[in-house]
Amino acid sequence: MSRIIRTTVLILLGILWLLPAYLLVINAAKDPTTFTTKQSWVPTDFHLFQNILDALTLSGLGSSVISTIVYSVVSPAIAVLVGAAAGFAIIALKLRHGFLWFVVIFGGTVFPLQMILLPLFDGYSRLGVYDTRVGMVIVYTAISIPFSAFVMRNFFTGVAHSVFEAAVLDGATTWRIFTRMYLPIASSALVAIFILQATFVWNDLLLGLTLSQSDDIRPIVTTLSGMQSTYGGAQMSTVLAAAVLVSLPTVVLFLCTQRFFAKGLALGQY
Amino acid sequence: MTTHKTPYRWSARGFVAPGVILVAVLLYLPLLWTVYLSFTRYNGLGTPEWVGLDNYAAMFGDPDFLGSALNTLLWVVGTLIVPVGMGLAIALLTWNLAGGIWLRLPFLIPYALSGIGVGVIWSFILSSGGALDQALAAFGIADPPRWLLDAPLNTIVMIVAAAWQGVGVNALLFTIGLQSIPKEPLEAARIDGAGGARLFGSVLWPMLRPLTAVVVGLSIVASLKTFDIVWSMTKGGPGTVSETLALTMYKETFVNSDYGLGSAVAVFLTVVTLVASVIYLRQQLSPKNEI
Repeated sequence: MSRIIRTTVLILLGILWLLPAYLLVINAAKDPTTFTTKQSWVPTDFHLFQNILDALTLSGLGSSVISTIVYSVVSPAIAVLVGAAAGFAIIALKLRHGFLWFVVIFGGTVFPLQMILLPLFDGYSRLGVYDTRVGMVIVYTAISIPFSAFVMRNFFTGVAHSVFEAAVLDGATTWRIFTRMYLPIASSALVAIFILQATFVWNDLLLGLTLSQSDDIRPIVTTLSGMQSTYGGAQMSTVLAAAVLVSLPTVVLFLCTQRFFAKGLALGQY
Repeated sequence: MTTHKTPYRWSARGFVAPGVILVAVLLYLPLLWTVYLSFTRYNGLGTPEWVGLDNYAAMFGDPDFLGSALNTLLWVVGTLIVPVGMGLAIALLTWNLAGGIWLRLPFLIPYALSGIGVGVIWSFILSSGGALDQALAAFGIADPPRWLLDAPLNTIVMIVAAAWQGVGVNALLFTIGLQSIPKEPLEAARIDGAGGARLFGSVLWPMLRPLTAVVVGLSIVASLKTFDIVWSMTKGGPGTVSETLALTMYKETFVNSDYGLGSAVAVFLTVVTLVASVIYLRQQLSPKNEI
């Protein structure tokens, strides 16, 4: 096919693909007092920032934002370090039955979340961590560990064992070797895993729906979902503005880092 | 075991322990508890009462469950045809094309949205008298279908919404696959006069095969777990007509408080997911398929 035809087809398809995003943005920018569902294709006014500010006070979205930032920074950060430690034990310290332990950790992601929701809800309620930030951080951390251990084990396989042996001869402890040598070498992999898992946590609905209920604990996507049911009729433009606010960070992050997103996806699942 | 490993035995255990403990307590323990609960009658109060296979019998005898399983199958097939097929098409169209990166961008933007974000946009577009109906009216179609109210149309339009989101990442995966194909066989095939469909069939497709296995596997596993978009757009309704298995599990458990039945649905979904992954991977990666 000639280049001109290919380019034309792609441009037309691309425009078609952008239409929903166009509709989202122009309607999220409409003044709620004059908003009508009859004129969806025509931009009328630019009220976007006011609508986003309004959205922050609806359904406690503002306090959700703060909690969600905590979840999507703290949990992936811990998970990255725990995964790296596991990879270090298995590869550098040659843990006995290391591969078996690796399979145990990695196996944690192969089943659907539905399989753990109810016992988590039940257990969290009994232990008093239901609807708490600590509870949410712990569960997001545990969910992020398998992928992190997977990537870090692969990464450390590529580090020559002589590096480790040389450090031992210099009298370094394993803790020191891990924190001063292995973690710094792996910084690019650590950042990649962190970004992938932060996006996952940011976009999570199901765990938020199951393990939290109050405005300041609920993660942002769960709040958006509740907002859609409650205000979807009367304040549509505000709900759309909330969707813009919720989506913007992950879209920007993804577009800046698309290559390792795709590589991570291809690697991570099998 | 050689002796020089012994000094690190305890240290190694210490490093691996946090990961193993967190995964065991938060993932495996709940998993086993769900399996146990699926054989009991329980609503969260008192103690679970052992009922053997009753929940499974009730589940397979329930027309709503069968409808939900059928919808899930529709999701699996639909998301294989549209996003995977179209992702491959876009990757091939942008391959070696000047400005290909920019032409792929529109497809990538929706990927990073949350399922609920996608649901909010598409509920707005598909609402009665909404953006799509207005566009159809402009073309003289005054009586459009009720997109989100009639089955199986509502499941089909939700698959379209999911496709809108998912095409870009598949295109990106296939693009990376195409770029990693060595230049020599391509040149050789071109010199032999292969182009277009023949080049694709005899050189590109065989080389993309391992990657296709990953993309298709990802797509199947993800579509079996479909929850967010349906939760946002129809909540499985009207009634239960657009439910997927993931939604049925959630509703039985957290709306109807039928913990035993909800757990049985979760176990069924997990078994299907595992069987699908194993069969698919074995078939795709078996030696006789290697070229």
